[in-house]
Amino acid sequence: MLPDGDGLNAVRELKRKFPQTGIIIISAKNSLDDRIEGLNLGSDDYLTKPFHLSELNARVQAVIRRRSFQGNQQIRFGKIVIEPQEHFVSVEGQEIILTRKEYDLLIYLIANKNRVLTKESIAEHLWGDDADLMDNFDFIYTHIKNLRKKLMDKDCPDYLRSIYGVGYKFSEQ
Amino acid sequence: MKLLVQILRYQLVTSMLVLFLGAGLFYVSVRYLIDREVNKELFQSQLKVRWQLRHLETLPVYILQLGDSLQLEEVRYPGKVLVRETFMLNLAENEYQPYRQLVFYERALGQWYRVTISKLLLQRQRLMEAVVMTVTFIVALLLVSLLLLNSWLSQRLWKPFYKTLGKLDQYQIQQHETLRFAREETLEFDQLNQAVSQLTSRIATAYQNLKEFTENASHEIQTPLAVILSKIEGLFQDETLTESQLVILSSVSEAANRLGRLNQALLLLTKIENRQFLAGTEPVNLVPIINGKLRDLEDLIGKREIDIQTELQPVGLVIHPALAEILVNNLLTNAIRHNVEKGKIIIILRERFLSVRNTGKTLSANPEQLFERFRKESTLSASLGLGLALVKSICEVNGQTLKYDIENDWHSLTVSW
Repeated sequence: MLPDGDGLNAVRELKRKFPQTGIIIISAKNSLDDRIEGLNLGSDDYLTKPFHLSELNARVQAVIRRRSFQGNQQIRFGKIVIEPQEHFVSVEGQEIILTRKEYDLLIYLIANKNRVLTKESIAEHLWGDDADLMDNFDFIYTHIKNLRKKLMDKDCPDYLRSIYGVGYKFSEQ
Repeated sequence: MKLLVQILRYQLVTSMLVLFLGAGLFYVSVRYLIDREVNKELFQSQLKVRWQLRHLETLPVYILQLGDSLQLEEVRYPGKVLVRETFMLNLAENEYQPYRQLVFYERALGQWYRVTISKLLLQRQRLMEAVVMTVTFIVALLLVSLLLLNSWLSQRLWKPFYKTLGKLDQYQIQQHETLRFAREETLEFDQLNQAVSQLTSRIATAYQNLKEFTENASHEIQTPLAVILSKIEGLFQDETLTESQLVILSSVSEAANRLGRLNQALLLLTKIENRQFLAGTEPVNLVPIINGKLRDLEDLIGKREIDIQTELQPVGLVIHPALAEILVNNLLTNAIRHNVEKGKIIIILRERFLSVRNTGKTLSANPEQLFERFRKESTLSASLGLGLALVKSICEVNGQTLKYDIENDWHSLTVSW
């Protein structure tokens, strides 16, 4: 539905000419068939409109990581070091055991460091379509609180700042 | 009842009526003819008897040669001439038989006689029997020929009709086809086929338009929404915004998010109702879907301390897999959303039904109304009010029934197939 042809053809073309390109499809079509077709053509991810910019940001970084260093690159933020392959998180060499949701949350926060993250975008990142099941965002708060506590127990500085009425910001200042 | 059977029924009743009426008429007219003939004979006999009685002196007595019974009685005065019917004992056959009699008076040798000439009317009885026999025979013949005719008609003449009916029965709107028929000799069937062809072609066009509209709406609305959301997120990064501006921006962002979800849910609903999901071909096992969904939701279930009990048999219904997913998803999220803290959910999946029961508040609305779009029990929830409408449409499109029961504070939704 692009002015000059089908977007999926563009993916085919791109894959043929530059096989190493990372591709994220952004489409208004959200049916399962469309997704599967897009992914089968070799795109790395499929995001449906409307989406949160921070979500796109996180996914772009994930693609870059996978593409550039075969996924082995460490993620570093301040004192935090993450081995994405092993889901291993440590602060100054001390391992931190996180739940799956806390881990996802941490990755998401780091991918969007120094940016204000809305509670909706966090909820949607963690729970997808079920995000609207949360009648309020207390739920995110619980996860944020647990994550913050686990980090600070290992003497990690508090990077997380809450922005009144909006959400959170993860930064070193 | 088949049309031909109904026609046959009317044909039979009408032909019976006509036949019996005709038989009656036939009988009456033949009887009239016979009576006239007998009367004529009686009067001829009268002439002979009269002549003979007048010439009694000169003629030998052979008046009994009339061939019919003749009775002479002496009377004092003459009476009126009359023709009558009577039953008399026939000595030869020893039974009463009908006779037609002519009674007249004649004077012979100075003496008045009452003369009665009788004629046996047995022919009439035979006639009656013959008429009944003939009518019965004709009725039987008619019945058999009508039955034969009708079965022949249904095989030959009605064949195009059944062909059209069969095609219509198998007609599937999703395939965008226009039904085409060969030319028929019967005018009415040809007209019917033409009408069906036109109708299906109009339906196909309308369906295509509707489908394009849904797709366009989906595509065209999601893009500006994506722009709005990304601009809002960009604005959030602006450090110079005041707290009150951030709060306003945040509610704008919330509304835009909601609009996006609403749009998607409505489009999904429209797609389902337009039957854009092809019917399933084989049963979809619901167990992995249910378990997967429960895993996705375990956070939420755990936080609200909801106790889940499942009793699942590895069965499922014939449905498009994507719809099965939505069905299970909406039933479970509904059960969680409207549950109480520390509530319970019981999921039962058996051969012919899936039932999701949950504890909840007592309802003020009529349960069936909750299937309507945007019908919500509480206004504060983030729910779109489309979840059960989606479930209902899925069930309707696939021919399953959806029932909502409330028993005290237990709510149960049952899909049966």
